[in-house]
Amino acid sequence: MKNILRIAGPLALAGVAACVWLRAQDQNEDQTTFHVKVDMVVLSFEVMDTHGKYVNGIKPSDFKVYEDDIPQKVATFAEGNRAPVQVLDNGSTRAVRTAPVDGANVAPPGVADLRQDASGTNVFVLFDTSNYMYRGFVYASDAIADFIRGLDRADSIAVYTYSRNLNRAVPLVRDRNRAISGLRTAVAGDDSALYNCLLLTLRDAARVPGRKVVIVFSNGPDNASMVAPDDVRAVAEDEGIPIYVISTSEVNNDPISATIFRRISSNTGGKNYFAKTWQKQVEAFENIREDLGNSYTVTYYPQPNPNEGFRRIRIELTDEAMRKFKIRARPGYRPQRGF
Amino acid sequence: MTIIPWGLKSATWAAFSLAFLSCIWSADLRAAGGANPTLDDEVFQKEAAGDLRGARSLLEQQANTPGNTLASRDLALFLDRHGDPESRQAYRKWADEEQDPSLRKLALRELVLLDFMQGTNTDLQDDLARYRSAGGDDLTPPPQNLKPPYSTILIPGPFRSFARMAALSPDMPAQDLLPALARNVVTNGYEASGNELLQQTEYMRLLVRYIGQARELQAMANKEGKIAIPTCDSEQTGALLKILGYRMRGSCGGDLVLETVNATRAFLTVDSAFPISELEQDLRANHPFELPYAPSPVPVLYTAQYWMTALGRPGQGDFIDAFLSDPSLARLYLGLSHLDRATAEALRSQSTPAKLKVYAHVLDFFGSMFQVQNGAAVVPGSPKVWAGLVGVSPSNPGAFFIKLIATDDGWLASYFDALSRSRGATATYLTQPDRMKRFYDALRGKITSPGPARPVFRSSTELMLLTTSLYIDPNGQPHVPGDLDVWRNLFIHHPNGKYDGRLTRSATTWRTSDDLIEALFALSRKSVENEPLKIFLALNDIDRHRAKPISPELASALVSAYHTYGSQYAVFADAPNLSEPSIQHYVDLMSETASIRDVLLKSDTMGSLQSVVELWRILCRQGSIAPEAQDASFSKLIGPFGRARGGSELFDADRAAVESLLASAGATKLSPQESLTELLVGKIHAPANAPNSPVENFMRIFDAQRLVSIDALFAAADHLGKGPVDPKLMKNLTEQLSRLEEAETVRGSLSAPEKSAYVPGYWSERHITQERKTNFDNLAKGNERKDVKATLAPFLRDSLVGILYSYYAPDGAQLLLANPLFVRSHDFIGPDGSPAIWRATQVAGTGWPESAGGRLAGSLISLPYAIAEAEQNFLTPKREQALIWGDLVPQMIVDVTVNRWRNISPQQVRWVGLHMQRGEALLAAAALNSEVESKVMDALRRYETPGDVERIDDRLRSADFAHALGQLPPSILYSVAEDPSLKNVSPDLPSREIAEMAAKDDPELLPASISRAFGTPKPTLTHSYLPGLLYLRTFPALMGYSSRIMAESWESNNLYYAALADRVGVPVSQLDIYVPDWNRAAIENIFATHLEDWPALLRSLKTVSGTVMQSVNQPVTEATSSLN
Repeated sequence: MKNILRIAGPLALAGVAACVWLRAQDQNEDQTTFHVKVDMVVLSFEVMDTHGKYVNGIKPSDFKVYEDDIPQKVATFAEGNRAPVQVLDNGSTRAVRTAPVDGANVAPPGVADLRQDASGTNVFVLFDTSNYMYRGFVYASDAIADFIRGLDRADSIAVYTYSRNLNRAVPLVRDRNRAISGLRTAVAGDDSALYNCLLLTLRDAARVPGRKVVIVFSNGPDNASMVAPDDVRAVAEDEGIPIYVISTSEVNNDPISATIFRRISSNTGGKNYFAKTWQKQVEAFENIREDLGNSYTVTYYPQPNPNEGFRRIRIELTDEAMRKFKIRARPGYRPQRGF
Repeated sequence: MTIIPWGLKSATWAAFSLAFLSCIWSADLRAAGGANPTLDDEVFQKEAAGDLRGARSLLEQQANTPGNTLASRDLALFLDRHGDPESRQAYRKWADEEQDPSLRKLALRELVLLDFMQGTNTDLQDDLARYRSAGGDDLTPPPQNLKPPYSTILIPGPFRSFARMAALSPDMPAQDLLPALARNVVTNGYEASGNELLQQTEYMRLLVRYIGQARELQAMANKEGKIAIPTCDSEQTGALLKILGYRMRGSCGGDLVLETVNATRAFLTVDSAFPISELEQDLRANHPFELPYAPSPVPVLYTAQYWMTALGRPGQGDFIDAFLSDPSLARLYLGLSHLDRATAEALRSQSTPAKLKVYAHVLDFFGSMFQVQNGAAVVPGSPKVWAGLVGVSPSNPGAFFIKLIATDDGWLASYFDALSRSRGATATYLTQPDRMKRFYDALRGKITSPGPARPVFRSSTELMLLTTSLYIDPNGQPHVPGDLDVWRNLFIHHPNGKYDGRLTRSATTWRTSDDLIEALFALSRKSVENEPLKIFLALNDIDRHRAKPISPELASALVSAYHTYGSQYAVFADAPNLSEPSIQHYVDLMSETASIRDVLLKSDTMGSLQSVVELWRILCRQGSIAPEAQDASFSKLIGPFGRARGGSELFDADRAAVESLLASAGATKLSPQESLTELLVGKIHAPANAPNSPVENFMRIFDAQRLVSIDALFAAADHLGKGPVDPKLMKNLTEQLSRLEEAETVRGSLSAPEKSAYVPGYWSERHITQERKTNFDNLAKGNERKDVKATLAPFLRDSLVGILYSYYAPDGAQLLLANPLFVRSHDFIGPDGSPAIWRATQVAGTGWPESAGGRLAGSLISLPYAIAEAEQNFLTPKREQALIWGDLVPQMIVDVTVNRWRNISPQQVRWVGLHMQRGEALLAAAALNSEVESKVMDALRRYETPGDVERIDDRLRSADFAHALGQLPPSILYSVAEDPSLKNVSPDLPSREIAEMAAKDDPELLPASISRAFGTPKPTLTHSYLPGLLYLRTFPALMGYSSRIMAESWESNNLYYAALADRVGVPVSQLDIYVPDWNRAAIENIFATHLEDWPALLRSLKTVSGTVMQSVNQPVTEATSSLN
C-alpha cells in the first residue's frame, strides 16, 4: 500500500525542487523508503557532559527540537555513523532506506551518488593549495591522508583543492585509496580564493542527501574571493552543513582569518583548530573524526512558520538529569524560497 | 540537405572537374524533376524542431524505395551534416545505386573527402580507386614525404610529469612543446634582482629541481627503462623513497604509511604527479611496484647543437639545462619557431645564432609576419621604400630581416608588423610611399630606447590599435570626425594635460588628415595613455555606421567631454540612428546629474538613468525597438530625468522611462515587471522553462538580491499613505525589507581587525542604510512626513539595476546568488580619491576583507564585462588550473551574455553549419589537389601568419587533417568558406547548398545579419557592445589597457556553437538555454599553456562538441545535459 505524505508549506524550492514532499512508500511492514527533496532540514548536534565529554545513547524521546519556539516533528534520527531510523508519532523508531527522488539530480556534477544507504557522513575536504600553503603543502597532504585512512567505513569522502579556482580532485567516494591517490596529485596553485571555493563546495555538498560536513584545511588568508565569508556561512547555515576549519597558521599571526574561522565554524555547528605543526593537524583531524562519530543527526520538515527570515533552532533535552548537558548545534537557518 | 533542390538529379554532372564544376552549379537543373518540395519542407521542419530522428526516418523511408537515388543522396548528406558515423555507408549506397555517371562520381568524390577528413587511410585508398574508375582525376593523396626541420632531444623522466612542472599542456602537438616551454621561460622563468641581474623565479627553481630529481629516478630505472621495486623490504625501496622525499611509517604490511621526510623532494614528487599513492599501496601489499621511467623524446627545431652554439657552449652540457638557463636563447627559439621554413632559413643563413640571439626579443614580438616568397622578403607596400627604411633591399631577404630587427631597438620591426597586419583600404592608405616614411619617422621619434620589445608584453598597443581600427572614407582618406579643426584644437589646447610640446606646436600648421594621423603615430610610441588616439578612435566608431557623420560642433563637444564621459560614448556607437540633439542632450544630462549636490540622490539618479538607458540599449540591440524609432524613444526616455530635482521627481522620471521603453518595444498588455522580463529573457510561463532556462535564472537572481518588483513599487507609490493598501502589496514590501535587514545582520558581526581592513563603498553603504530605515507600515498609514515616491526612489533604482544584473548574470553565476547585497552595493560615486562617476564599470577589490564582500563601481556602461569578471573564478577548470583566465574568460562569457541567441532563424544556423562544412571540405580538397591548395593557402594568409599557414599546410600534406583543423579558428574557417575568391574552387555539396540558400535573397543571410546573429561584442576595439564579426587575425598579448583586444580578436566561439547546434539539431528556440551551457563547459575545459595558446581553446571547443555529439543519438535535451 502506498502512503504518500505531502508536506505543505512555504518552502518550495526553486529550480532543483519545485515542490516539497516526502513520500513514504511502504515496501513492507518493517522498511520504509523515503524519497527526499533537498529542503528537508538536516540538523546535527553533539551533547557534552559537564566535563566536555561526548554523551552517547541519547534517544529521540530524550529531546525536542524547536524552530522559533515551534515544536518540530522529527522524521529521522541517527547516532554517529549508524543508519538513521524513522521516528514515529509515538516516539518509537523503525528502519528506513533512502533513495533519491525520481528525476532529482541530487549529486553534484561528477559526483557519484553513493548514498544508497543513509549511514555515515559525506565528508568534503577542501584543501588549500595556494601559495600561502606552499611550505606546508606536503605535510598537510600527509595529515589529510591519515584522516582519510581513519574515517569510518560508512563515511564517504570528497577531496577538493583550491587556489584561485576550485578543483574537484576526487568526487565523493568510499574508496579510501582513490581519495588519497587524488589528494596526492594536487597541483600547487597561486592566489587564494578560499571563500569562493568554500561556497562552491557547500553547493556540491548541499546536493548530496544525508549528513555532510565540510573540512577546510587552509593557511587562512584570502586574496582572490569576491564573496564574503559571512555570505558563505549563511549558505552553510541554511543547508545545515557544519564547517570544520583547520588553520595551519598561528592564531595570533592572522587575526582576521582566525576570527572568521571561529565565526563560520561555530555558527554552522562545526569547530576550528589552529594547528601549525603536523602533529597538531593530525590531532585536529582526530577530534573531527570523534565529533563525527559522536554526533546525532535528525531530520524534520518545518512546521508552518510565518517567519521567512532567520529561524532560530533550539534543542531541548527533556530528561531533567540531562538538562546540565551542553548541546552544540547550528543556531538556525533561513528557509529557501520560491519567487 | 533538404535545401538542396531535388531537381539536381539529372544535372549535367558529367562535366564534373575542377575547371567546369562552377558552371554546373549554375546550370538549369530544375527541368529534370524529381524534387519533392513537400518532403523537403517536412524534413527541414523536423530538423528545425530538433526532431532529427523523425527527419532521418522520413529520408530513410524514401531512400529504401528502389531506384530513389535522389533520396539516397539526401540521406547521405543529412547524415554527413549531422556527423553520423553511418554517413560513409550512406554515400557508398548512393554511389552504388546511382545510375547517372556524373552523380556517381560526385558521390565518390564526397566519399574520398570524407575518408580524408576522418583519417581512414584504407577507405581512402579504396574509395579513391573507385573515384578514379568513375572518371575522377582531380584528387591525389598527399605525398607525406615532408622533412620538417626537427631533430630530437631527450628530457629526463616521463613527459607528463615534465609538462606539469613546466606548466605545459600535454595535449599540444609535439613540435609545439619547446616553443611553449620557451615562452614560459621568457615570461615566467626569470625576474630582475636588486643588481639588475636576472634571477630564477620559483617556477624555474622548481622546474630545475624537478629535472634533478627526474635524473636520479631515471638512474634507478632498469635497462627496460622501468623503476622496479620487487618487494617492500628490498634495497631499492629505501633508495627510491629517499629520492622521493618519503619514508615508511610502520613496517611492511597493512599498516605501512608513507610520510614526508624531505619536504622539498616530497613537494616535487607530488607536484609532478609521481604515483606515490600506488607505490604506497604496493608496498603495503608487498606487491612489486613497476613504473616506466625512460627519458622522453621531444622534437627540437634544427639541432641541439645549433642552440648550444648560440649559447657559446657547443658540445657541452645538456640541451634542456642550457635552454632553461638562458631566457634570450629561449626567446630566439620562440622567434624562429614562429617563422615558416624558408624565412627562418633566410635569417639563419645570414647570421650566427649568437648574433641572432641579441635581437631575439624583437624577432619574437614582431617577426611573425616575416615571409620570403620567390626569393624576396614580402613587405607591406613598396619594396623600394622598405629598402630605404631598412637600408637593405627586400630582394636580399635574410639580410633585410636581420637589419630590420636590429634597427632602432625594434621600432622599425614593430612598424613593419603593424603594417603587415593591416588590411584593405587601411593598408592601402598606410602603405602609400610618402606616408610610410613620414609616419615611421613620427613613430620612431628621436630617442629609440627603450624599444617596444623590451617589456614582457608588447608595448606597441597604441600602434596596433591605430593601424587596425583606422577608418578610411570612400575617398581613400582617413575619416576625421567633425573636421580637422576639432583635432587641431585638441592638440593645441590639450584640456587634460600636455600631450607633446612639439606636436602642440606643429598642430597649428596642420592642413590635411595626414598631419593628424602623423601626430597620432607620434603619440603611439609613448608609454603613457594616448588620450587623443582613444578619443579619435571612439569618435570614429560613433561615425562608423551613421548615415551622416557627426557635425564639427558635436565632435568638438564630445572631444571636450571625453575625459569625463568618454566611456559612455559606446551608447552612441551602438545606436547610429541617434540624432545629434539626442546625443548632446545625453551629454548635458550626464553633466547635470554629476553636479547634483545631494550625493545619495545623485547616486540614485545616475543608477536609474543608466539603468533605463542600458535597458534601451538591450532592446535596440535585440531588435525590440526598431532602428527608425530609436531616436524618438531615447529622447523620450531621458527627457524626464532633466527635470528631476528630488527623489519624487526621480521616481516619476523612472516610471515614465519604463513606460516609454515598454511602449517603444510594443509591450502593452502585461505588468511592467513581467513585460520587461519577457522582453529580456523570454516567456515567463512557457512550459519549456527548464531549471536553467534564462527566465528561471533571471528570476532566481532578482529574488536572491532581495529586490522589490517594479510593479509593487509603482503600486506602492500609487497607494501608500492614501487609504487602505492591498495586504499582499504590504506583505511583499515588508518581507523584502526584512530579508534585506537580515542580510545586513549576517554581515554585522565583523571583528575589529576586519572592520579596519574592510573597504566598503561609503555611499553604497549609506544607500543600503537609508533603505533599511524605511518603515513601509508608517508610510502606508501616512504616519511619516516623508514623501512616498522619494522614499521609494532608491528601491526603484535597485530594482532597475537589479534587472540588468540578473540579465547579464552568466550561466553558473554564484556571487549574485550568495551575496544578497551585490546589486545594492553598486557604487556609482566611488571614493573621494578615485571617483567612479560615469566611469567604466569596475570590480572593486578582491579578497577578504578588501573586497567588502564584492561590489562593482562606476557606471553601468560595461556592466556585462564587470559581472563576467566578478563571476569568472566561480567556474571550475576540469583539469589542472587554466592559465589564461585573465582577460579571455570574461570576454568569452560576455560573448553569450550580450549576444543572447534569441531571434535566430533555423536558416541562419544552417547557413553557418554549411559554411563550416564547406571550409572543412576546402581544406580536405587542398590536401588532395595542389591547385586548390595554392588558392586555399592564399586565402588563409589573409587571416593567419605565414608560419601558421605553413604549419596547417604541412599537416594537410601529412594527411593529418584533425591537427590541421585544430590550428584553425572557426571564424577563419568560416571566412575562408565565404571568401569570394574561393567561391568556384572545388565545388561540393555544401557549396551547392550555400548557393541555393543565397539565391533566395533571404535578408537574414546577408553578411550583416550573420555578423549580428553570431558575432561577438568588442567594446575595446569598436567602442560598442553590438555583436559583430570582423574576421580578425588573432591579436598577440598586449600590454596595458588594451590587453583585452587579444580576447576580443577571438571571434570563433559563437560560430562554432551555431555549427554545433546545426549538427546536433538544437531547435533555435532553445539555443539560449544550450549555448551558455556549452560556453561554460568550453571555458572549464580550457587547458592552455600561455596567453596566446588559441589551439588550447580549440581543443576545448572540440571536447565540448565531442561530448554533445557522443550523445547525439539521445534526444537533444539529454545531449546537452551531459556536459557537466
